[in-house]
Amino acid sequence: MMIPSAIAVGVFAIVPLLGMFALSMTDFHLVKKWDHEFGFQNFIKLWNNKRFINSINVMLLLSVFGVIFQVALGTLIAVGLEKIIPKWRFMRGIFVIPFVVPAVAVALIWLSLLTPTLSPVNDFFDIFGITVPALLTSQYGAIAAIVMADTWASYPFVMLLILAALQGIPSDLDEAASIDGASKLQTFYKITLPLLAPALLMVSLFRFIETLKHFPLIHIMTTGGPGRSTQATNYYAYIQTFQNSNVSYGAAIAVFLFLFAAIISYYVARANARINDA
Amino acid sequence: MRRQGKSPLRLLGIAMMLVFFGFTLLPIMWALILSFRPASHLFEPIWQSPTVLTLNNFDSLLRSDFPMALFNSLITAGCSTVLAMIIGVPGGFSLAKGRSQRRFIASWALLLLRMAPPVGFVIPLFLIYLNVGLLDTRIGLIAAYMVLTLPFVVWSSWTSLAQIPDELIEASMLDGATLFQTLVKVVVPAARPGLIATGVLAFLIAWNDFFFALVITRGNTVTAPVAVMNFVSYASVDWGSIALASVLLTLPTLPVIIFANKYIVQSMGGAVKG
Repeated sequence: MMIPSAIAVGVFAIVPLLGMFALSMTDFHLVKKWDHEFGFQNFIKLWNNKRFINSINVMLLLSVFGVIFQVALGTLIAVGLEKIIPKWRFMRGIFVIPFVVPAVAVALIWLSLLTPTLSPVNDFFDIFGITVPALLTSQYGAIAAIVMADTWASYPFVMLLILAALQGIPSDLDEAASIDGASKLQTFYKITLPLLAPALLMVSLFRFIETLKHFPLIHIMTTGGPGRSTQATNYYAYIQTFQNSNVSYGAAIAVFLFLFAAIISYYVARANARINDA
Repeated sequence: MRRQGKSPLRLLGIAMMLVFFGFTLLPIMWALILSFRPASHLFEPIWQSPTVLTLNNFDSLLRSDFPMALFNSLITAGCSTVLAMIIGVPGGFSLAKGRSQRRFIASWALLLLRMAPPVGFVIPLFLIYLNVGLLDTRIGLIAAYMVLTLPFVVWSSWTSLAQIPDELIEASMLDGATLFQTLVKVVVPAARPGLIATGVLAFLIAWNDFFFALVITRGNTVTAPVAVMNFVSYASVDWGSIALASVLLTLPTLPVIIFANKYIVQSMGGAVKG
């Protein structure tokens, strides 16, 4: 029964990946003449490429801050739903909505909210004579804008997984702690949070890898700008391949990202196996 | 349960939840309002003319290629989901119940395929499609979406099918059913909620895709997420149509919320337990 799946995964997924590895070792270019040079020259060029190094910085900024905010917000909301307002069931459904909004729509909605002439946020603060800075025109503002849009769209994923984990924690633990005189905050820090740790680690890794793949948000909200301040590595690979026609160079960047994902997914798979065995 | 009444901590907690509630809902309400705003009133504060609403954005959307793009999205995401389910569920079944010793490798490989950078898949696919004439075809896009949906379906159905008791399978085999009959007649019906969640999420993954469609499609088979970008031109940005298109793009995905959250969580996170 494994065979059809294995063949299909091979055809649809492994073949393109092999193609990516093969291309990265060539000097294939869609427009320029091809010299048939093979080897690691693309990777050596990458090592010395300031734009590539910049793209890694941007990628890590987007990922680290994105994951911190998403995990914090998702966890707070999950805990709030379970412990503060457990009776308002309908709230759960509403908090899930951003999760199903397609990334393109997320990007466009946030672009409209961050366009000063259009945004109701700017209109609102104008009443009090406060000018909201145009985030998308400054280097770190643009990064903050993408992190904000991504946080909005992705915290429900964290929230759902943490809710599931919270429901797996026996409630008599809370009761025992409260009988022993622990306050609600103490119970949360000393009992709930440690028990959530495996789920938190897992969901952080999951989101970290997802944020490395940012494309629609960058393409629609900033197109990598202003300057190159939001040109994350994945986007840089796209620019090199499809705008500069430098296919082999783009493939080399993709290989770098792939190896990065391979390391992280190894730890996710190991953590998963441990949870399943326990 | 002890009752604390309205302690300050609880009030603070409720205030916090209301702030998050606003953060969640305001962008959605803004998109809804924007999709009914006429172009003439776009750039004035909404509270100056809250009742000036129009259905004109529907007209301009219907006149564009957006309806066709929605259809393309539906076909390509739907076909790739169905194919991925037909091919992937037996794979998930054998991983869940087979005697394979390579489960760790399989789970790592599937995770890696889900997590690998899409640009790495798209570059070779683009070159292959360029040479065999699959660029800008629905079949090409469906095949490309299999890259996204198939590893997800195998991974996710593995999780749901692992929860089917072995006795059920053994009983069916003792009754003389083949392994395939057992899968179709016994295992799949027993795991239906989880498998539905798997299918729905696989559809969502393909439906939401922007990157593959941007590279692989041109005028003929453009999907809805890419077609929305046609309303953004250098001359003017048609915000009303963009907002309406974003809302329409989201509508088919809303039923996911209503589905049992439990199964969605299982499918998404694999075996994330507390």
